[in-house]
Amino acid sequence: MRILDQQCAGRVLSFLSAMLWAMCQRANPADLNLSVLDAGGHGVEGIVFVAQPQFELPNKHPIRTAIMDQQKMQFVPNIVVIQAGTGVEFPNSDQIEHQVYSFSAAKTFKLSLYAGHKYPPVVFDRPGLVIVGCNIHDHMVGYIYVTDTPYFGRSNQSGLLSLHELPTGSYRITAWHPRMQEPGGASPQMSVMVTDTAAASAVFQLTQPLRASTEHSGDKRWADY
Amino acid sequence: MGRLLVAVTLPALLATLPVAAGNNEFDASADVVAVSSNGERSFLDGGLGELRFDDDHQGLQLDNVRFGYHGELAEIVHFTVEAVSYADRDSNLLDLTQAYAEIRPFPSGPWRSRLKVGAFYAPISLENRLQGWRSAYSMSPSAINTWVGEELRTFGAEYDLDWLGRQRGHDWELGAGASVYSWNESAGELLQQRGWAIHDRQATLFGRIGGATSEAVYDERLLTAAGAARAGYYLDGTAKYLDTFELRALHYDNRANPDAYSDAAYNWPWHTQFNSAGLRWTPSTHWTVISQWLSGSTCSNAEEYYDCWNFASEFLLASWQLGPNRLTARYDRFDMDQTPAAEEDAFSYNDHGHAWTVAYQREINRYVSVALEFLQIDSTLTSRLEIGEPAAAAERELELALRLQL
Repeated sequence: MRILDQQCAGRVLSFLSAMLWAMCQRANPADLNLSVLDAGGHGVEGIVFVAQPQFELPNKHPIRTAIMDQQKMQFVPNIVVIQAGTGVEFPNSDQIEHQVYSFSAAKTFKLSLYAGHKYPPVVFDRPGLVIVGCNIHDHMVGYIYVTDTPYFGRSNQSGLLSLHELPTGSYRITAWHPRMQEPGGASPQMSVMVTDTAAASAVFQLTQPLRASTEHSGDKRWADY
Repeated sequence: MGRLLVAVTLPALLATLPVAAGNNEFDASADVVAVSSNGERSFLDGGLGELRFDDDHQGLQLDNVRFGYHGELAEIVHFTVEAVSYADRDSNLLDLTQAYAEIRPFPSGPWRSRLKVGAFYAPISLENRLQGWRSAYSMSPSAINTWVGEELRTFGAEYDLDWLGRQRGHDWELGAGASVYSWNESAGELLQQRGWAIHDRQATLFGRIGGATSEAVYDERLLTAAGAARAGYYLDGTAKYLDTFELRALHYDNRANPDAYSDAAYNWPWHTQFNSAGLRWTPSTHWTVISQWLSGSTCSNAEEYYDCWNFASEFLLASWQLGPNRLTARYDRFDMDQTPAAEEDAFSYNDHGHAWTVAYQREINRYVSVALEFLQIDSTLTSRLEIGEPAAAAERELELALRLQL
């Protein structure tokens, strides 16, 4: 019981810390501070946050180019979040060929990539999750989360993400990760009101740990027999 | 000395080749080993020892030099050629272990077809994941996969249909395959004569194992078209759960006709069939656990005495990796029993035993690694009695290896 009490107290402290962090951020009226904690109250790194405005956006942010590299027979990073219309470059830093493809509904493409060659970016113009694979190395799996909002990011080592200069109004926040295993399988969502008087914040509490990653960062010596 | 010269000069020559030139990829590796062994006279030297190196073949020597080529034609057609030099009595100076083409179209949905044609390994081993069909966990693969390397090769075609569930957001991937092949009708003969073994010496496509008929292990070639040269087949299935579990199962039948002896053939046909299954479990990035099982029979009408042998083996392997270090332990168990023999053949050929393998590997850099491996096989092989040796043997081998990779 004492241990339980300590665990409980720890969780409360972590939660309060996250809230305190959210309140102590620069009081920019259009800031949104997000955090995600595991069941033990510790920050979870790498969670995708997407803030979807529940209103018409006045204008869209400039679109950039993102990169999903192939290093040691893995997609690096293996999760990329982009706004619809963004191009993604797929360089190949390995000394072997990769054949990158996706048949996801949001984007279908195929690309044979040879080491040292440069290819034009692939443009992802429809929102949705695009799962990327390599036709030669089946264990390689990457995720491109395409959203139609410019407000997104991934949590840092402490499980925190700050989004700045958001238009005021109501947002639906989605937290997502391919190895998330929350009950029901749905991505946790939360509604937040961003106002011009104080930074808004939201804290997500995961009930289940992320599924362990066992993807081996192989090298060219690994073959498929 | 000559082998060491090969070990030093060939990798140096290979260094002048382009490692990756467009869609042509070359790789090479060489293993030099210092061996201490109390093994019985090896099957490679006319004996019935179950190790590659016996007590007459200790000290510093070349284990293998191998070369790999991977090329591409029309984007979806890939070629793989694996060549190796063992420089031992039973091999050519340089020979092939695999040579095949694979048609692998880009998937346009969750179903993908693959077709392999040529000479290649059936999808049995869960250990042999390195280029050249080498074990990623130890120098010497298990008894099961040692035998696969010795006597099995698909000379034919294999069709696979994969369901790429992970690309649809599921956790599973499934696959099913079927193969038709021929010219592998000697499979089973070495197992019947010498019993099970544990080593890294794969049979080559044009090489031989064993020698004159006066020796314990008869001359055997992997690529053997004997008698009626019937087409054999295997059916296999694979299930993968994320990167955590991989399950494989296979049914094999070479459908050789034991009666169909031909003067043009090197050997009598051996009708070999078996079932195999294996599971690889990767609970974390540090741990890998593998278990495989294989059980079947081989029958021959050699010298007009129709006999069959039942064989079975299984192993459990646990491997721990942290950074450049990998530590592996494996336990193998194996059996081979002659089914009730003809009345005039009172002698029964059996092999019963088990083995322990402990291996440590350390990568110095991407080109150089070292390995230390201890292997002990305790076996009772009745055919040793025929060459005046005790049936029971406790064979031990300690190898220190320098492994070079380009």
